[in-house]
Amino acid sequence: MIRLLFLFFSINFIYSDKDNDIHHLSHNHEIYVQGEKLEVDQKRFKSFLDGLSDSQVAIVNVNGMVCDFCARGIEKTFVRDGAVKKVDVDLERGKVLIAYSKEKEIDFEEIKSKILANGQNAIDFTILNI
Amino acid sequence: MGILSKIFILLFFYNFIEARPISYSGGHTLMHFNDSMKESIYYHFSPTYKYSIGLETLNNKEFGKHESNIRFTYLINRQNTKNSQRNLYFQSAVSANDNNYIYGIHGDWETRRYFVGFDYKEVKNIIDYSDKYVQIGMAPYLGEYDDLHTWLMIKTKKNSINNKQITYPVIKFFKGSALLELGYHKKTDWDVHLMYRF
Repeated sequence: MIRLLFLFFSINFIYSDKDNDIHHLSHNHEIYVQGEKLEVDQKRFKSFLDGLSDSQVAIVNVNGMVCDFCARGIEKTFVRDGAVKKVDVDLERGKVLIAYSKEKEIDFEEIKSKILANGQNAIDFTILNI
Repeated sequence: MGILSKIFILLFFYNFIEARPISYSGGHTLMHFNDSMKESIYYHFSPTYKYSIGLETLNNKEFGKHESNIRFTYLINRQNTKNSQRNLYFQSAVSANDNNYIYGIHGDWETRRYFVGFDYKEVKNIIDYSDKYVQIGMAPYLGEYDDLHTWLMIKTKKNSINNKQITYPVIKFFKGSALLELGYHKKTDWDVHLMYRF
């Protein structure tokens, strides 16, 4: 049942950008971008995307995000940006998910700066078009 | 109870309020600490994640004395890795009432599961003394973002007033922007520390 739900969910992705296409392998529930596995929590990721459309999602790998209390500022900093629709923090995988409006030109330096303002380091990121 | 014992017990839990001495850039932190000996309120603001400035007002219940301190904390060094964070802070306080002051260093290393911290201070007060502690902790479970987080800790502490080492348990709860910390020692009964960030 979960697999069917996820399969259904995955077809809602719009493959609008060839650099950021999402390929879903239904047999093992992994998401690939350009052949590289996105290490995201499937359930969490699905919940995050729920209700989002015409959006871009930045999945940011962050170093030093070891506790909920220390990561609070990340969410507070990003939600001040009017182009940000939603923010989620995945402590287990050290990732921050940021949903931006389609019009936003996502700049990794800006993301790095905001993460650093909270005292952590953004290492790299991937953008998905939803 | 002699004055040295009273001062010792007062100092015994002083470092409770040292947890998370700097917030995120633009972050405000309000702390309240209460035990049988004192009640304090400490507010600090972090213009950047590198330092915080704050004001602490303290009611010494035992002596019926009010004190105020201006406090400054600076992040000397931080190392972030995928699974850990290590910090070294300079901390200081200047009394608003007299010429007393405090300075020292505080360090910690933590993962989502383990915590190790230390603290060393030199205090200029009625009696000059040094104060140090080591704290270790473990999270019994790994909560996700927005969950209730729990830490079980042991703190061992010593100061130069009586050179006796005391070890006691601490339990911490985090939920969202709030923290509750409880400690117990047979001499001082329960201690409560509340913190909120905004």
